[in-house]
Amino acid sequence: MSEVASRRTTSISVAQDNVSAEATLAGERRSLAKRLLAPTQLLLVFIVAFPLCMQIYISMTWWTPLDGEPWYRAYRSWVWFLNYIDLFRDEALWAAVWRTVLFVLISVPLEFFLGLIFATIFYEGVAGRPFFYSILLMPMMIVPAVAGYIFFLMFQQTGPVNAAISIVYSGALDWNWLNDVNRAFIAIIVADVWQWTPLMFLILYAGLMSVPDDQMRAATILGANWWDRFRRIALPRIKAVIVIAIGLRVIEAFKIFDPIFIMTSGGPGVATESLSLYLYKRTFQDLEWSYVAAIGITVLIVLSLITGIIIAKTTAKPQAATAEPVEQGRAV
Amino acid sequence: MNGLIIRTVAIAIVSCIALLPITWMISMAFKPAAEWTTAAGEISLIPKNPTLSNFVYVFTGNAPDQVVSLDRTVWGPLFASLLTSVIGTLIAVVCGTAAAYAVSREKINESIGLSLLQLRIFPPLAVMIPVMIMWAFLRMIDTWWGLALIYGIVTLPFSFWLMKAYFDELPREIEEAAIVEGCTPFMAFRQITLPIVASAVASTALFIFILNWSDYIIALLLTRKDWTTIPVYMNALATAASGQLYGAKAALGLIAAIPPVVLGISIQRFLVRGLTFGALKQ
Repeated sequence: MSEVASRRTTSISVAQDNVSAEATLAGERRSLAKRLLAPTQLLLVFIVAFPLCMQIYISMTWWTPLDGEPWYRAYRSWVWFLNYIDLFRDEALWAAVWRTVLFVLISVPLEFFLGLIFATIFYEGVAGRPFFYSILLMPMMIVPAVAGYIFFLMFQQTGPVNAAISIVYSGALDWNWLNDVNRAFIAIIVADVWQWTPLMFLILYAGLMSVPDDQMRAATILGANWWDRFRRIALPRIKAVIVIAIGLRVIEAFKIFDPIFIMTSGGPGVATESLSLYLYKRTFQDLEWSYVAAIGITVLIVLSLITGIIIAKTTAKPQAATAEPVEQGRAV
Repeated sequence: MNGLIIRTVAIAIVSCIALLPITWMISMAFKPAAEWTTAAGEISLIPKNPTLSNFVYVFTGNAPDQVVSLDRTVWGPLFASLLTSVIGTLIAVVCGTAAAYAVSREKINESIGLSLLQLRIFPPLAVMIPVMIMWAFLRMIDTWWGLALIYGIVTLPFSFWLMKAYFDELPREIEEAAIVEGCTPFMAFRQITLPIVASAVASTALFIFILNWSDYIIALLLTRKDWTTIPVYMNALATAASGQLYGAKAALGLIAAIPPVVLGISIQRFLVRGLTFGALKQ
């Protein structure tokens, strides 16, 4: 600032004065931006850089908290990549991964189609829209752990699910849902679909609302039926919204832990053991922390590769995928 | 007109299905111990003898229909949930808003957004081992500040991306005008830009509070006894003598469920934006 002031007194032309004032201003802004960014960068280093190094280090040892040694002395049981080799031969792990994938492949499409159907019905018009809208969103707002407990109650032998089925099939039914290999898996899917269909509905409905009304009306007048209107006009416009909705659900469903832990703890046996539950058991029942660390690093690499490919693909065509929903959304 | 009736009836049926499980929990919360488990034929959605004893039991530790008294009441977990969620929300919103402003205006370190997103992609259990070791080393296991700090970090991606979307929409000229009038860049940020986005900050904060309040797994891993949150306390609730405390747990579930549902409905116009990290706007 003093530099600017001195220049002013030596009466250098006003234009030049402005240039240097602007330069200081830009510098000030930049330093402000850096200071505003600092806390977040600090937190990221704290939670990513250091733990990541620690996890890689531990994953190459056989250290467990039972050793009575602090983690930094883990090198005493250094085994290089033995944990990584082990995990490729760990059938229980791959069974859990496959179970999780199966769960995602069943529940996410179910949630998507149900959500799409409800969103379409809403778009076509229902009486008391705001009222039903709030009610349909409610399951999504229940704490997932509580939702798990709710469905634990629902699927008890003396619970309402059995009672409801008993009414349809005459005769009392006493299925023990959560203790049966197949039924427990179905129960988990039912709970997940109940809780997360609202999310699909919410996002898809917002997408449908961004489709221009006049085009839909014109198509109706021209005699297009519901399916044609949906396929030709709405679908191309909400493609990006669909990708976002399904992507979010796939990521979250893959991480599933809370409801399963509370409903069945992965049981009976390992029938509902998802990847997260398998990791939990390995961490707290077997205390094999170095092995879990190795699995974690592997999961990290695989998921980073997958998301990296997806991000590369979507940003390659920004007009088609990422830019569109923002523009459409503003029209609403 | 016919179509409208059919659609409304269909949605009404779906709404009943959506509400039934919640209703069942509420009903269970008001049932006396004798009605917790009944034969399939005598099942009833409405408690025959509604009672508040489940709530009395979890709040005071004693109830007339319970033989064993609880050694811990719900007050501790309720306070823990509230305190850690609020502090975690503060950390996320303050850091996230500041960083979002910096990235949106000066375009520095734009990769930070993707690094933050990665925090949400990985299953927590795959990356928690070093965090648990660090928390133990820093003596932060089972403390309110330890839990609040991790809550602040895991919800930071939401506040960053949501606020960045708002700042990107805001024209730069407003601040530039203020700077011409003699403001420093920081004053322009604090006195001009922040008041404009205040309501967006509020919605973001409420949304993040819901996320923090809904957590189960982090509290399960990083607390032991003193600072367990309501969901963890709920699932662990059982006494050796009575076994499953269905009604009391349902009462706890209801207590845990009320704040997110009330807040969620009050910000429902914001939810699309919130859940998609600001990618979609409603």
